[in-house]
Amino acid sequence: MVSHRSRTAFAIGAAAVTVALLVTGCSAGSSSSSTKSSTIVIDRVFDLKTADPSRQYEPTGAIVDKALYETLLTFSGSDVSKTVPGLATVEASADSKTFTVTLGDGHVFSDGSPVTADDVVFSLNRVIGMKGNPSFLLSGVTVTKKDDKTVILTSATSNPALPFILPNPSLSILNSKVVIANGGTTDEKDSAEAYLNANSAGSGPYVLDTLDLTSQVVLTTNPKYSGDDKPTYSRVVLRNVESATQKINIEGGDSQVALDLSGDQASGLGSGITVASTPSANVIFLLLNQNSKVSTITSNPDFVSAVKKSINYDDLVSLAGKGAAQANGIVPSMFLGALGSADKTTYDKTGAAADLAASGYKGEKVTLSFPSDISLNGVEFTVLAQRIQSQLKDAGITVDLAPAPVATEFAAYRDGKEALGLWYWGPDFPDPSNYLEFAPGGVVGLRAGWPEGSDATVTAAATAARAGGSNDERATQFTTYQKALNATGPFIPLVQPANNIASASSVTGVEYNAVWTIDIAALGSK
Amino acid sequence: MRPARATRAGRTGHPFARYLIQRILTSLLLVVGVTLVTFTLTNLVPGDPVAAALGQHAAEDPAIVASFRAHYGVDQPLVVQYFTYLGNLVHGDLGESPTTHHPVLEDLQVAVPATLEIAIGAIVLSVIIGVVLGTLAAYRRGKVTDHVLRVVSLLGLSVPTFWLALVLYYVFFFKLHIAPGSGRLSAIYAAPPTVTGMTTVDALLAGQWDVFLDASAHLFLPVLVLTLYTVGLLTRFVRTAVLEILDMDYVRAARAKGLPGRTVVWSYVLRGASIPVLTIVGLAFGSLLSGTVLVESVFSWPGLGSYAFKAASNLDLPGIMGVGLVIGIIYLGTNLIVDLLYSVVDPRVRLA
Repeated sequence: MVSHRSRTAFAIGAAAVTVALLVTGCSAGSSSSSTKSSTIVIDRVFDLKTADPSRQYEPTGAIVDKALYETLLTFSGSDVSKTVPGLATVEASADSKTFTVTLGDGHVFSDGSPVTADDVVFSLNRVIGMKGNPSFLLSGVTVTKKDDKTVILTSATSNPALPFILPNPSLSILNSKVVIANGGTTDEKDSAEAYLNANSAGSGPYVLDTLDLTSQVVLTTNPKYSGDDKPTYSRVVLRNVESATQKINIEGGDSQVALDLSGDQASGLGSGITVASTPSANVIFLLLNQNSKVSTITSNPDFVSAVKKSINYDDLVSLAGKGAAQANGIVPSMFLGALGSADKTTYDKTGAAADLAASGYKGEKVTLSFPSDISLNGVEFTVLAQRIQSQLKDAGITVDLAPAPVATEFAAYRDGKEALGLWYWGPDFPDPSNYLEFAPGGVVGLRAGWPEGSDATVTAAATAARAGGSNDERATQFTTYQKALNATGPFIPLVQPANNIASASSVTGVEYNAVWTIDIAALGSK
Repeated sequence: MRPARATRAGRTGHPFARYLIQRILTSLLLVVGVTLVTFTLTNLVPGDPVAAALGQHAAEDPAIVASFRAHYGVDQPLVVQYFTYLGNLVHGDLGESPTTHHPVLEDLQVAVPATLEIAIGAIVLSVIIGVVLGTLAAYRRGKVTDHVLRVVSLLGLSVPTFWLALVLYYVFFFKLHIAPGSGRLSAIYAAPPTVTGMTTVDALLAGQWDVFLDASAHLFLPVLVLTLYTVGLLTRFVRTAVLEILDMDYVRAARAKGLPGRTVVWSYVLRGASIPVLTIVGLAFGSLLSGTVLVESVFSWPGLGSYAFKAASNLDLPGIMGVGLVIGIIYLGTNLIVDLLYSVVDPRVRLA
């Protein structure tokens, strides 16, 4: 009885709106494809904290802000190895310390006012001054206006990565007049976040309609958008949906795009659904602490070498599911300077046994700490840790698992207190210089008990890579750096889990981008 | 003169009012206790809210970390933090959540009505169905109906709600196309203007009938899942309570003097059984409000459970405190109402 009443209720509701709005898109599957194209529903497991670009530093926030705002430079499609002009063109000086930003013509905000150099200076200074999550992106950078069309970015140190940082949606250009009128400042007193969570103030293809951090974000087209490619869908609903429900929703036609399916879920989808599986830019790795006060076992170089050879990488890749790939080096495969498969570490049982004997290891327990509540692109860290435990057991190494929620375990990781740790690194920007943190004395190097001066070869390679140069020179520098890291470093790059984007076959333009996951405005219909 | 008046009023004038004031004062004390326990437990968890709230890079920058700590007041000693919290609480300020960057009070004003909407639906249905089935089972004790109902109620109790929710969603939405998709509204609708926070009620208030029908359809599955669980519980309790009453002399007497069966059931049996049943309904309602996290996650329902989960996994102290406080108040409130209802259904409990 209840179900009958509900069915009637639902049918009446759907019919009423079809008549009233001539727009449908709901689950009953009665709507035609021509009217359906105006609204698109995208399912996502939210990690959304804010829509204020200068404060957000979460993948979901990047998806939203990419649609609402524009950046000085951007990337085309999934190619993050070279930048293309966005609101501006950027020219770097030879020493990569001075960058001249020249604004293009005709860009306007959603209120019709033009994008000016003042907006650029305000937006970037707001990111720096508010000291929010993304402010490190512009660490050491000062922003000055030269004239109405030109802005100069000056970096205290050589910063060849800056052009690859500028496309980040956190560095979006905001309408400074509107933001200032609503409490915006370029210091910690800024109070414009509430306004920017209810309205957008950008020049992107969409404007913000409504935002609820826990349930859904609704976008509508920006009628003043000055770009050439007008978006196909006039209304976008980005919903917070668990991955198991996402699968049912897309199969049932309730959504058109599902962003968080695991390899298993994505391979079992029915017809009428396309899945784009590509390795993500996340690299899962093991770290072995080199601080003998933390562990006398993991700090032994022969033991490190034994663990590297004891791991069956192919097995881990197949565990990670469809589309995953072995991480050949610490730099993910789609970036400049990534290692080829010839340089990857391979499983070598006899080699491992010899190294283990040389290390003097006598079966002592080693503790593997990991964040048990992390599921990265459908890969459960707990499952992965258990597999590593059994692989190492085959090699004669006894591992104790120490799972803990990421919120508690992260502190131990950050303080360099884990003997054996299983973590991942998601890039802050698609440039290999991000991975210099794995060198001795770097942010991640220290977490592995690896201070400055621990490894002269790796340090020399890192120093050369930091200096910069042409793209070809940089590619060579970074491969040398990673080869040295693979040979003697305390990190073992394991897998790049797959990023699966499932979409209804009627949706075109679905492309994974390592910075903003998906460009909503690029989605089309056929 | 003053004490005399107070005594007279206390003794004879308003015993109920005095009882009520006493209960509310005790509840207030208990609420303070709840905040103390939640605060202590949350701070006992090893972990740093900075690491949880800031990005990997931002957490390395001392200036950003200091700014974060100062903004959320976590640079103060714990005792100071606690009393600051209590002081703000008096002014209705529950602090700001580092996860959502919103005042916790605003977050809860969204989450609590969302959960209330499904919990009220589920408890009303459960009471109706549970009382009927439980009474039926008691009257047919040992017969086939009783056995079938026992199996059904045990099933309702023991099937994990998370699994049940996924299966029902798959069957009703994907296979049968009877139920709508997840969330509170279909994607084509905008939420009605917020008055109560309950989408169905707000749609009615705004006169948006289509939105109301759509919102009601979205309520169907979550309410069904929660009802199946609570009905199992209620059926078992009602059966036991009714069986006890059926053996009472006054029920035998009523039957013996030839009263019609319906009168015996309604005026004698159910009335007698209502005290234990009320107790369990109160507890069930409390646990419905606080225990819907898995169901909310399957149906993408932005309620209290989802909020609590998100706050806990981010070590979002103000968020966790807010949830603890609300759940504490709900339990205390429900218990108070149940106690007051006792006196309505059983004159012996009435205050003289």
